[in-house]
Amino acid sequence: MFKVEDLKYRYPKGEADVINGISFEINEGEIFGFLGPSGAGKSTTQKILIKILGDYRGEISYSGKNITEFSDEFYESIGVSFEMPIHFSKMTAMENINFFLKLYKNNANVEELMKRVNLWEDRDKMVGEYSKGMKIRLNIVRAMLNNPEMLFMDEPTNGLDPMNAMILKDMIREFRANGGTVFITSHIMTDIDQLCDRVAFIVEGEIVEMDTPRNLKIKYGKRSMFMEYKENGKTVGIEFPLDGIGKNKEFLDLLQTKEIETLHSGETTLEDIFIQVTGVALKNGE
Amino acid sequence: MVNRLWVLVKGELQRLNKYNMTSVSVLVAIIWGIVLFFVNGEWLGYLLPLVLMMDATLMAIMYVGSVMFFEKSESTISTMLVTPVSNKELVLSKLIANTVHNMFASALIIIVFVFIRDLSINYFLMFVAIFIATAFHTLLGIVMAYFQKDFTSMLVNIMIFMFTLGVPSIFYSVGIISGDVWEFVLLFNPIQSAQILIEGGFKGWGFEYDYKYFFSLGYLTIGGILLYYFYALPKFQAYAVKQSGV
Repeated sequence: MFKVEDLKYRYPKGEADVINGISFEINEGEIFGFLGPSGAGKSTTQKILIKILGDYRGEISYSGKNITEFSDEFYESIGVSFEMPIHFSKMTAMENINFFLKLYKNNANVEELMKRVNLWEDRDKMVGEYSKGMKIRLNIVRAMLNNPEMLFMDEPTNGLDPMNAMILKDMIREFRANGGTVFITSHIMTDIDQLCDRVAFIVEGEIVEMDTPRNLKIKYGKRSMFMEYKENGKTVGIEFPLDGIGKNKEFLDLLQTKEIETLHSGETTLEDIFIQVTGVALKNGE
Repeated sequence: MVNRLWVLVKGELQRLNKYNMTSVSVLVAIIWGIVLFFVNGEWLGYLLPLVLMMDATLMAIMYVGSVMFFEKSESTISTMLVTPVSNKELVLSKLIANTVHNMFASALIIIVFVFIRDLSINYFLMFVAIFIATAFHTLLGIVMAYFQKDFTSMLVNIMIFMFTLGVPSIFYSVGIISGDVWEFVLLFNPIQSAQILIEGGFKGWGFEYDYKYFFSLGYLTIGGILLYYFYALPKFQAYAVKQSGV
């Protein structure tokens, strides 16, 4: 759906490129995660893809056509959910929504969307009276107003409570199930792990790793099995190599004879992979 | 395009109302009405054109600057950039809505005085004068907003504008400064041009339209078109992108 080839970008007053020749594809119907530390180039890349920033070098095509050749119809087919609230605070949620709705040819069922994110009851409240979480949920409704084919989501669950984060993740999955494509940036690795079909890690304007979360976990994980069992009232831990574990006599003996407390494979988490490939530990808001 | 432009203009007007700009403009009209009510006939001839000039120039800059400040503080420009509307539609909608809004305020002042005082107004020429002066200064306000960092800097810019261009024009109108040199220099002052056009609206069809009137008409009209095509429109994208956090 999106094909990015050798993308380079330098800010007008910048001395060096902030995007250094990245290439990737986002396939139709996939959720693609774009991860990286602050200043790595995530937002810049997203702003180039949604045509806010121009003057880049390289090729970007959308549905087989260079994005520079698109005019209005490009924005008819995409939806963008920003990280920060982007509403007129002295207008009600519905006044905001109705204003944007009229700018598109395709209109989604607003009542359905608002009910889905639990905002229907508060639709006539001023957005200025909304909590941060409510504003973020309204961002999602705003992004989906035009029934887009592709969604760009910047930190979509940031500021949401677990319940609403779950609702949002379900909406993203349903969007994908209905044929939609999603480009998502987030620092919440559990969200990325749960949602994304593929992820790319960007560091200093370069993609340093790109694959499915599963393949990355296999690649960066330790091929081992860690067991904890009870012996003489104490907990004992022991690690076994994963290769040939079915024939490992010591492992099988312990399984049969001891009271096993925990059994873990050496599979790593996306957060560990993030730290490993970017060299930066995750912090809140990063 | 027309339909989307209409939606944008309606949206701008709705926001001018929601963000209390309409209330402020009505209040300003009432205050001017009260002040001018107590002014005697001779001074009214000086002051009413001045008030209308201030409304069509400085207030136009301030209203559009305030609206764009709110847009900046609420990051709403980000989401406008990812709609099918073009930059041309966005700039034009601000220009049209703010001009219409400001003309409404000017009309209020005129209506108040037509009822209270016996005024001779050429409504067509007054409409043209206020329309051109307001549209030009709204455009100037849009351009000034590109440089404003916050509300304070907007007010500072307006004050600088007022002192460098507004005060000389007022001094010239009331006779504090005079002479051919000032007359020539002030021809290039947009506030003075607005003043000349508005004064023309208080004269009947029979008044002698001197070169200053036509120069002012051309200066604001052509200047406005040039400002729109060569600065306000081309620089809008950079401004909007900057507001969206890049």
